[in-house]
Amino acid sequence: MGKTLLFHAKSVVTMDRNQPRASHVAVRDGRVLAVGGPNCADPWGGAEAHVDLSDTVLMPGFVEGHAHMMAGAMWDYAYCGYHDRIDPQGQMHNGMTQIDQVIARLSEFEATLAPEQPLIGWGFDPIFLTSERLSRHHLDQVSTTRPIVIIFSNFHLLCGNSAALALAGYDAATNVEGVTKGSDGQPTGELQEMAAMFPVMRRTGIDFRDLTQTDAALRSYGEVCKRAGVTTVTDLFATLGDEDVARLAAATARSDFPVRLVPALGAMGGTPAEIAAQAQAMRDRSTEKLRLGAVKLMTDGSIQGWTARVRAPGYVGGQPNGLWNTAPDQIFQLCEEMQRQGLQMHIHVNGDEAAEVTLDALEAAARKHPWPGARHVLQHCQMMDAALFRRAAELGVACNIFANHLWYFGDQHTALTIGPDRAQSMDAVRDCLDAGVITAIHSDAPVTPMGPLFTAWCAVNRRTMSGQTLGPAQCISVEEALYAITQGAAQTLKMDAEIGSIQTGKRADFVLLGADPTAVNPDALKDIAVLGTVLGGEVHRL
Amino acid sequence: MTPLPMTVIGGYLGAGKTTLINRILSGDHGLRILVLVNDFGAINIDADLLVSAKEDTIELANGCVCCTMGADLFLAVGDVLDRRPRPDHLIIEASGIADPARIANVAQAEPDLDYAGIVTVVDGQQVQALCADPLIAPQVLGQIACGDIIAVSKCDLSPALRQTLSGLNTTAVLTRTQDLNIAQVLIAPQGPIDLPQTPHPAYTKWSFTGPDPVDRTALQAALRARPEGLFRVKGQVRGPDGAGLLVQVAGRDIDIGDIEQPAQSQLVGIGLATKLSAKACDLWWTKSALRKQ
Ligand SMILES: [Zn+2]
Repeated sequence: MGKTLLFHAKSVVTMDRNQPRASHVAVRDGRVLAVGGPNCADPWGGAEAHVDLSDTVLMPGFVEGHAHMMAGAMWDYAYCGYHDRIDPQGQMHNGMTQIDQVIARLSEFEATLAPEQPLIGWGFDPIFLTSERLSRHHLDQVSTTRPIVIIFSNFHLLCGNSAALALAGYDAATNVEGVTKGSDGQPTGELQEMAAMFPVMRRTGIDFRDLTQTDAALRSYGEVCKRAGVTTVTDLFATLGDEDVARLAAATARSDFPVRLVPALGAMGGTPAEIAAQAQAMRDRSTEKLRLGAVKLMTDGSIQGWTARVRAPGYVGGQPNGLWNTAPDQIFQLCEEMQRQGLQMHIHVNGDEAAEVTLDALEAAARKHPWPGARHVLQHCQMMDAALFRRAAELGVACNIFANHLWYFGDQHTALTIGPDRAQSMDAVRDCLDAGVITAIHSDAPVTPMGPLFTAWCAVNRRTMSGQTLGPAQCISVEEALYAITQGAAQTLKMDAEIGSIQTGKRADFVLLGADPTAVNPDALKDIAVLGTVLGGEVHRL
Repeated sequence: MTPLPMTVIGGYLGAGKTTLINRILSGDHGLRILVLVNDFGAINIDADLLVSAKEDTIELANGCVCCTMGADLFLAVGDVLDRRPRPDHLIIEASGIADPARIANVAQAEPDLDYAGIVTVVDGQQVQALCADPLIAPQVLGQIACGDIIAVSKCDLSPALRQTLSGLNTTAVLTRTQDLNIAQVLIAPQGPIDLPQTPHPAYTKWSFTGPDPVDRTALQAALRARPEGLFRVKGQVRGPDGAGLLVQVAGRDIDIGDIEQPAQSQLVGIGLATKLSAKACDLWWTKSALRKQ
């Protein structure tokens, strides 16, 4: 039996209705022993050590139910995005709203590189910089000799400078789809889609596997989580070979790794039975800090890329309906096999048609292989309406909604993708809660920055970048949002018995905040400082 | 190093892509073929074939977040290119819902790869129903439209089916899978174009040698307007003012590069005998490239 530690905070927001507020938490062996006042450890023989957190407000550690490991290692590259963003070391990178600022940032970064090293940037988004297109001429201002590659935020485009294009032999004579040419017949530097991007990426050493399948990437991810106050995080769509699992088990076990990791195996590259067998085999290798056994399915694409599968009347610009990444037949087969074998699924659905087909598949699977408590999770759920949420509730299917989209892309959805009426009701967290669905909200980092308090702010305020409130009828209360980033998300991971509230017997996973989120103006939720986390009783201060 | 020829085998789930790949692997061609499988449930490649043809290897593209950007397959292609020795030919089995053209495009972009065509396998019994299914029709139609060869499996090429398919893709070679000549799939545009020796020679070979210069624009236009069925063209062309042009054409991929001026233009072409005669090729070249009436 370990020591009894008594944590003392300014206030403890427990997320447990039996005792919503406290000042002290007693912890033993990584678990909560008692919650209450200064004497709460007395029935257990008193505290043996005190942990003074009286400058902070304690909450249950946040749970990020949909993010990706590469959110950490992307920062090895130069950030070129429009929005302010904080790197894993805690340094703020101001957003760049002009191409000139991007050039200046890249020039600074260039000065730090070894002579032979290519300069790689990430996060650039032309949807926000509409005055002119980024071209190789801009990047040539940074260097004409060092190859420079800027990967756009959607990962479907990049821009290279002249030196980078030359590596792949791209010139006026190149006649390849995706190699954009200017009016002078020369490549502009913009390369569209992976086939055209690949020759340049290959020659500048960009390998996305390095952003996920290394210890350094994992450590970076841990830092990102700590800064966001997240103590349990997913990596949805992981490559989990034998060595990957062994590496993750060793790296997450280190006491300085500040987060519990829940990777979901990407359902690709095998028959449903083979994928299921792989997930089954790794489930037994789970540890306290590494939870294995869930499977991630892709179905459609993204709404802002016009690749999500949407129901009639489709996209407002008349674009053709989107693309399946997994055919409906395959969705049915996978759902049936995972359900049969008792494996929980996280299923990507952006468009409402994808959600509908997936619910059909889950219903068919449930008829064949009843499994109360399967708790499969629809991920993103951006166009689900009340009727689809009611079906999810009937089937016991949880929903993790992409609330950050409201701020980042809400204006674009109104103007360009699905039109003002459906944009108003997208990411309908209110409807989801009212239907009685297990509800979580997420960032999909690195697509948008990880930060559960920001995600909560989005769901509460539904503000877009232009300042409008998108669909006030779908706003939720601060309490509901805090539920969604703790209890709700924990339920989607089937971990709610051990995390998600500060309650006797649960794991001592906390976030240290600068203020009580229930006491500030709802508009200021996103501005509350994260001061650190506690994982299993271990304090990780920033 | 010579570029690695790459063929993409596409087609909807259950069309018969794996069967075709097994046939290719077991063919008597002596090539070291590497197959990259990117399909759900498509790993049923006959293990015996791998043992008997021991250089053949199968790799599986990994499932990682890159899948969502379509990067995983390309990373695997990069690994193949980094291998020493490289295989003689790369075959990619596209996933059942993938757009084969998006994959094949990399062979046109990447200097270390050579585009060797797209074979779209179509289940002759299913295709009408799939093309009428609003959920999946656009992706199936896209697969058919981009094929250089459309191989029909599981039934005969009835006139009605032939009409449907040629309506969806006017330029592709249409054949039953079992009639498909494997050598045709494996012809590398870089390598010598040897007529495949089959009991029923189904190919027309055309060649041209001559001193008259052709400029790049005229050449490009001529190649674009080449006779239907002239699937591959390669060779050197004498350009004006000391220029020389290297020509490589495979399917829709027309590639014209700069070389030293050759003394003579020399071109060879190949196409299906059912669709092409050498005489038609001569006529086309004389009229469109040499601009002689
Ligand atoms: Zn995601």
